[in-house]
Amino acid sequence: MADTTPQGFAGPSGLSSIPVAKGFATIVVSTLGLILLCALFAPSAVTAGSLMGSLPFAAVLGIVGLGQMLVVQQGGFDLSVPGSVSLAVVIATHMPNGNDAMLFQAVVVAVGFALAAGFLNGVMIAYFRLNAIVATIGMNALLYSAVFAISGGVPRITTKVLAAIAGGQTFGIPHSVIFAVVILAMVSFALKKTVAGRRFEAIGANRVAARAAGLRVKRYEAMAYMMAQLLYCTAGVLIAGITREPTAFQGNALLLPSVAVVVLAGTSLLGGRGFPISVVIAAFFLNQLSQFALSIGVPYSAQTIVQALALVFGIGVYSIDWTGRFKMKTKSPKEEETHETFDA
Amino acid sequence: MRLSMLKGGGAVAALGLGMALTAGAATAQDTPSWCGPNEATLALLDGFGGNSWRLVTTASGKQEAEKCPSITEYFYADGQGDTQKAISDINSMAARGVDAMVVFGDAGPAVLPALTNAYRAGSVVVPYRVNVGGEAGRNYTRFIGADFVYDGESWGTWIKENFPDGANILFLSGPAGNSQGLDELKGMKNILDDKYTFLNPDPFAVTNWDPSLTQQVLSAAIAQHEDIDVIVSDFGPSLVGALPVFKNFDRSIPALATSDGNSLGCFWHENQADNPDFKLFTVATGNDNVRLAVQWAIAEATGGTPPEAEIFEAPNFEDSTDGDPSEVQCRDDLPGAIYLSSQLSGDDQAKAVGQ
Repeated sequence: MADTTPQGFAGPSGLSSIPVAKGFATIVVSTLGLILLCALFAPSAVTAGSLMGSLPFAAVLGIVGLGQMLVVQQGGFDLSVPGSVSLAVVIATHMPNGNDAMLFQAVVVAVGFALAAGFLNGVMIAYFRLNAIVATIGMNALLYSAVFAISGGVPRITTKVLAAIAGGQTFGIPHSVIFAVVILAMVSFALKKTVAGRRFEAIGANRVAARAAGLRVKRYEAMAYMMAQLLYCTAGVLIAGITREPTAFQGNALLLPSVAVVVLAGTSLLGGRGFPISVVIAAFFLNQLSQFALSIGVPYSAQTIVQALALVFGIGVYSIDWTGRFKMKTKSPKEEETHETFDA
Repeated sequence: MRLSMLKGGGAVAALGLGMALTAGAATAQDTPSWCGPNEATLALLDGFGGNSWRLVTTASGKQEAEKCPSITEYFYADGQGDTQKAISDINSMAARGVDAMVVFGDAGPAVLPALTNAYRAGSVVVPYRVNVGGEAGRNYTRFIGADFVYDGESWGTWIKENFPDGANILFLSGPAGNSQGLDELKGMKNILDDKYTFLNPDPFAVTNWDPSLTQQVLSAAIAQHEDIDVIVSDFGPSLVGALPVFKNFDRSIPALATSDGNSLGCFWHENQADNPDFKLFTVATGNDNVRLAVQWAIAEATGGTPPEAEIFEAPNFEDSTDGDPSEVQCRDDLPGAIYLSSQLSGDDQAKAVGQ
């Protein structure tokens, strides 16, 4: 992945290429380490059957994570993940009500809702400069009202065709994994190899400079929210197929992990470059981590702690500028004192 | 022709009137003993009303209340999973002067102060199913619990009959530490001795009753344990998405002891031929718990005779091994998310869940 970002936007390429290497290498090494741990202590967590059962959920998380990544790249946060994923699940199961012939229309309607939600998010945040957290949390409530209006909170059973498309396997590979890989390729290509993608990253890195260079900053920022919604919608439709009888609140469990994978992948929470492949690997990592915890039979409390530690680890590695910290330490004796008290 | 139509219409009207009269007479005769002569208003308060089980339960409660002509008005409020709203619902019903309240206190002891206030203000207050703490006669009129230990004993008995030489059991329940799961485990342990091993981490595998988490938990468990003889779950329908995982391992779905659900029954019918070990035993999922609570509330408010039972014991429902009390049931013309064990007819349930 060559760094083609213009220097003025992302700083000297020599410096900005370091986090790429660090982010990608860290997540890959962690994942390999985890697989090794599994092989040694919980061999059942890496058997083919176990992976077949858990990979679809990693794939869904990866797709949601890619959407969240686009938003984080623009310095935002998307808290409407639960609402939009749940809405897609509900539309994909309720409209057809088991009738395969209605599935296509249902997916089209779900995409329509996703585009509308993304458009509203984008306009509120990019054009009216609303705080992203506030705007998307409001959107989440709005999307949930649609979930209730459509379903009344009652799950319906997936149609057979959707179960085969999203939950099936080809050559032993779950379809959802294929979806995730194809989407990953598309997002990577669009971000890294197209002019629009390069501008998108440049705007995320520095809005002011990008505006000075004549880029349509607001339009790109708004697009991040629309694209993110499309990805959540895809994930929702996949969940509807993977889980035979999904609940109407299936997106709830995805919000925190979606942020976690973006952070673990080394995306700066202040905006800037995104690392799609790292996001998808991080999704696999998080998922495998919980499979590992389940397989060695640790109590639920410990499982939650393990996941939280992974998140802290991610933020610790990427979000804190360790080198900068240490430099400051030598410069200011005050700072040094506080650090010492923390260490003690 | 017109005349004949009119005549026909008249005949139908007369017939209708006659039927209405007979029905009226029948109702007067069939007024249950728990329905007393004093008029009263009744409110059903749900902590969370947004799933099919709750919708069926709500419809069951309403149907039960309709059996009593002394109930002049019937209210329903849904706390929507929000403890604050549930509390304010209770307060507003008390302020409205509702005579009797049946409360599903999802938030547990958090709603107790509101219940106590309503009780002291003179309403009949009957919390049911979820323990809200406090005591009857001081904080509320009576608590109509469900006996989950009994459920556990029913499963244990069935497991003992079908696996007399011991078995490896995987027990799945809802959120970590939920008292329902703990009681069920207690019930099973009352029946099953050391020959029966629980494969899950103590006390149960946590699934949050969420189908996708259940799927993940189950695939990990299947990979880890080669010899699962019985799966016990207190929410059968959440397993439907997860059970096909056994196919990934080329293994038969094992025996299953759980609670009923239409989708689960249909799943059994579709898959039992390919899965020789797939025996199914279910207890009623307990929608009718609300009926007992409603009977108590109405009896106290209208001066009727309260029912004898204070605790709801879910009866056995389906058993694929001997068909007693019933063979596995499936109504594939109705939604999956209904419960054929409920007294409310399948078609009425379909209506209740809006399908």
